[in-house]
Amino acid sequence: MGEFRTLPAPGAASGSGAAGAAGGAVSGTAAGAAAAVGEIAEGVFGALHQVRGAVLATVGPAPVSGDLAGLRPLLLPRLGGLVSGIGFIAAPGLLADAPWYLEWWQEGPSGDPVRLVRDMDPASSAFYDYSHWDWFSGPRSGEEHTLAGPYVDFLCTDEYSLTFSVPVRRDGEFLGVAAADVFVRRFEVAVLPVLRRVPGPAFLVNRQGRVVASTTARHLAGSVFRGAPATAAHPCRDLPLALVAAQLPHAP
Amino acid sequence: MFAGGRAEDGAEARRGAGRAAGRGGGGRGRAVVTDISGGARLAAFAPVDSTARVDAVVRRLTDAIVLGLLADGEQLPSEAELAAQLGVSTVTLREALMALRQQGMVETRRGRGGGSFVRVPAEAPGLVDRLRGLTAEELRDLGDHYAAIAGAAARLAAQRALPEDVAPLRRTLEEMAAARDEAHLRRLHGRFHIEVAAVSQSARLTQEEIRLQADIGPLLWLAHTGEHGPSAQHRAIAEAIHRGDGDRARDLAERHVLDAVEHLIELRLREP
Repeated sequence: MGEFRTLPAPGAASGSGAAGAAGGAVSGTAAGAAAAVGEIAEGVFGALHQVRGAVLATVGPAPVSGDLAGLRPLLLPRLGGLVSGIGFIAAPGLLADAPWYLEWWQEGPSGDPVRLVRDMDPASSAFYDYSHWDWFSGPRSGEEHTLAGPYVDFLCTDEYSLTFSVPVRRDGEFLGVAAADVFVRRFEVAVLPVLRRVPGPAFLVNRQGRVVASTTARHLAGSVFRGAPATAAHPCRDLPLALVAAQLPHAP
Repeated sequence: MFAGGRAEDGAEARRGAGRAAGRGGGGRGRAVVTDISGGARLAAFAPVDSTARVDAVVRRLTDAIVLGLLADGEQLPSEAELAAQLGVSTVTLREALMALRQQGMVETRRGRGGGSFVRVPAEAPGLVDRLRGLTAEELRDLGDHYAAIAGAAARLAAQRALPEDVAPLRRTLEEMAAARDEAHLRRLHGRFHIEVAAVSQSARLTQEEIRLQADIGPLLWLAHTGEHGPSAQHRAIAEAIHRGDGDRARDLAERHVLDAVEHLIELRLREP
């Protein structure tokens, strides 16, 4: 498990590291596939950068929860495709009228946007405190791109999900997190054609080594990949996501 | 004190033997007695840990309060009288009353007209009505279903947990230990089991856990009424998941549900 807990540092160019050089053609393909997966994920982060911009434009001094309704024209059209939920999660204490607050929209059963209404009252809910979730603590601790999960999201949807998130800061002050949910099943549909371009088994793991999507039943989503001989991990751009594929000794 | 303690120890032993036999583990008590030697013999004659007796009294009075056998506001007999009725020492009774006071189920007023008075938890009467609406067979079946889900989820959680997945469980256990009111503790109790299910990485098992908790959770809490902090079972489940011991995690999670259901059925059968 160890090696996958410390993926190559962000910025290490795909395919140009030791794995890419030693792996020859297969790693070249795998590295290319990893970059393509990174591109798919970056599409979601692109939407979050827009949300972040809108939050900064919306939130003035002494904001209240009602101010965040101004985000809706931006949030609602971004549902669909990969994204099943999107919104802004306020840093505890940011809003004068609600210590804990999410302006969060998700696809309802009929596909129409539904606002998530959660009990955010510490006196009646055991689940109000979102500050421990990776999608919140990552951006708060300084990560520019957080990809949390896969995990069972019992806070919002009860679905097996990935959450993409970015910090929202103004002059260094942490205001909260812009985030989007992607169901693992939808992510699988999007990335499987890319993974299939890799000869042999290939799968994606998150920073902790948890499998996200896979072309082999031996490493299914949700299981933990603890390393295996003759495999190489290729980072998906600068994201906390890597593509694991067989590492052949020499290119033909 | 000594006589009272002995009488109760006898009752405890009978109950314990019955339980062990019921689970296919009878006949252990005698072997221990004949095998003790040296240090073990000395230990056998050391003062009996009174915790179990205190817990037994707390349990008995809690059940009676929850079931409404003791009414809200009713004055309990004097300490000496109650201790005699229950066959325990007044020291044991006092400790039990202190625990009940901390749980808000007994209120003690000093001075003239003082004494210990029963306080029925706000949600208990409604829950007891629900309990009356279910037969022992229905309760058993609900328990079987819940134990299957909780056990399967715990087993997968142990197989699939990463160290960071155990952190939320530990945090919840700490919050349970620090919880001062029962409603808060009950919410955390539910959260712990949902968090365990989520570690399984199975959305369906987690959804089922949430659904079953909504269904039987409040009732099961009747069986936990009066507990404070996380139980040893909660800690053991988290520990088994941490160690990746799937079989043990499943056994513990099933046992946790079945123990509570068994207590619930006992409560139900005591009802007319």
